[in-house]
Amino acid sequence: MAALDLKHVSKRFGGLKAVSEVSFTVPERSIFGLIGPNGAGKTTVFNLVTGVYDFEGSITFGDTSLRGKKPAQIARLGIGRTFQNIRLFQSLTVLENVLVACEKRRRAHLGAALLRSPLFFRDEADMAEQAMKLLAIFKLEHMADEISTSLSYGNQRRLEIARAMMLKPKMLLLDEPAAGMNYGEAEGLKEQIRWLRDEFEITVVLVEHNMQVVMGVCEDIHVLDHGETIAHGPPDKIKKDPKVLAAYLGEETEEEAQSEAAAGEASP
Amino acid sequence: MPSWIKRGALALALVAVAVAAEFAMPVIIPDTAWRVLVQQALVAVVIALSLNVINGMAGQFSIGHAGFVGIGAYTSAVVASHMHARLGSPTDYSFAHSFMIVPPAIIAAGLVAAVFGFLLGLPSLRLKGDYLAIVTLGFAEIFRLLIATSSPGAPEGTLSHTIGQLGGQQGYGGPEDRGIAQYAGGFWLVGGAITAIIIAWRLKFSGWGRALRALRENEVAAAAVGVDPTSYKVTSFVISAIGGGIAGALLAGMRDGTPTVQPDQFNFFFSFDAITMVILGGSGSVSGAVLGGIFVTVTNRIIEQLQRLDSVEAFRIAHPDVDLNALRMVVYAAVLVALMVMRPSGVFGEREIIKGRRGPAEKPA
Ligand SMILES: Nc1ncnc2c1ncn2[C@@H]1O[C@H](COP(=O)(O)OP(=O)(O)OP(=O)(O)O)[C@@H](O)[C@H]1O
Ligand SMILES: [Mg+2]
Repeated sequence: MAALDLKHVSKRFGGLKAVSEVSFTVPERSIFGLIGPNGAGKTTVFNLVTGVYDFEGSITFGDTSLRGKKPAQIARLGIGRTFQNIRLFQSLTVLENVLVACEKRRRAHLGAALLRSPLFFRDEADMAEQAMKLLAIFKLEHMADEISTSLSYGNQRRLEIARAMMLKPKMLLLDEPAAGMNYGEAEGLKEQIRWLRDEFEITVVLVEHNMQVVMGVCEDIHVLDHGETIAHGPPDKIKKDPKVLAAYLGEETEEEAQSEAAAGEASP
Repeated sequence: MPSWIKRGALALALVAVAVAAEFAMPVIIPDTAWRVLVQQALVAVVIALSLNVINGMAGQFSIGHAGFVGIGAYTSAVVASHMHARLGSPTDYSFAHSFMIVPPAIIAAGLVAAVFGFLLGLPSLRLKGDYLAIVTLGFAEIFRLLIATSSPGAPEGTLSHTIGQLGGQQGYGGPEDRGIAQYAGGFWLVGGAITAIIIAWRLKFSGWGRALRALRENEVAAAAVGVDPTSYKVTSFVISAIGGGIAGALLAGMRDGTPTVQPDQFNFFFSFDAITMVILGGSGSVSGAVLGGIFVTVTNRIIEQLQRLDSVEAFRIAHPDVDLNALRMVVYAAVLVALMVMRPSGVFGEREIIKGRRGPAEKPA
């Protein structure tokens, strides 16, 4: 069964067609790669799936159409995500960052919090325990009370994944989780992604430039260039696809370098 | 000792403190002027704590808190005065009677303010920063001007006549202008301030407060983990408005205050004072708002007293065109500038005097 299904999805920003007529299906519990050169439209696809922008075409998550849904609703449906340019709750502690993601599961609402009822304390203890377990998975538990921005870049990226996992998502969208990681860290990340998928029985969609990670962990890969689909298939096929090779080689030209700078500024 | 016994004992102790305040205040502070100052400071604590929900915790910027306080003051003045008349207008404002008058006045003030908080919360979804600030200012000024420019003498059936029942520019002095009922003595003022502190503290150190702070830090990321910006922002406006409205009710009903409410009490300077209370103490800090409220009230009084000095009086007569009241603004501006240079996030930042549950209080930023 399909976890996520895109049909003829397009998105325009003014005159720019950031995503055009993209269709793909992500099988349930798969690790799916979405790749392409800078400015290809990968992050935009994530933003469309998570309700940041509206879109043309159709996107369905399981049986639910995502048309017109707001980001918070989509998160509650079970889609968690991380961001290419890290978005933590800066002045909050590491633990608090993770705790925010369980607000939708909370049984003790505002009234219970104001009365400080037994339910409130039980809830807080439960949530903190779950959050600490997740932090332990990402080896962040000893930093639980640090302010999140005091963490190293790699730890901030891991904290973002932990926060997304606190949603108990059915699907996890990772936007360049390996950015800035060295060889060893990237290998660790590969292991972690596989482990998360198996342990929590989730579907993972991965946007990544690091080919060591993409080719090593993805079962299926969809390639975009200038908003359009140029290839789709298993890693072995994608590695040899002439269109893919051409797109990645063309990346070094001056024109692409400019759109790269623009993409960095525009994408949330 | 089981925790419920501890909590019950603490609650009883706080009630005892409030009751003691009712009877002890006139004895300990025989001078009315000093008593008024203490009562104003207690109300200011509620004002600062309620504004802190929007300007501190939610990270929005309202410069129209006077609107909520004013709406609460007028609502409670009307309710309390009519109920007082219903009781046969006893002249002693007894403690026993206050239980029949103050609760409905407070509830009415909170409810009416909540409606306006909801309406004002809606634009906060689309407007950010300066634009939202202007909307809040516009709201407060429209409220004030609607009352100030209406007149009970206007032709019957006009809006001016209807709103004019609130006394217009002259102020509202109760039915037949005999003065509004003033039942909020030490019990209600101290009780109100303590309750406001407890609620503010619990809001801040709850999942709701955490989500609100997360929304302030990064709206996109908060929405991506299921925190709906709409409901949190509107709720924060409603809660802040309720607090402001109740502060207004306490202000209007203050035992030793003036027996009228005037539209010009709730001008921009009132909102500015409220902002100063929050910023000085540290936006987002409960302790900061409490101390900020007290500090600004006391400073205002000191400046007022300075103006009564003979030498200042002589200066005033010699230079009638100089507005000495504006001096206050100069003082606060200077204090704020100095603070922003030395401690940009206020005296406390977002921290507290004592530890909260898993809050930033545990870790100095
Ligand atoms: N909010 C926006 N407004 C205008 N243009 C945008 C916006 N978001 C993205 N774009 C443009 O859409 C195109 C695709 O951007 P996107 O961020 O999706 O690329 P990407 O594949 O994620 O690239 P990268 O690998 O650099 O992250 C770019 O040309 C970018 O400038
Ligand atoms: Mg991107």
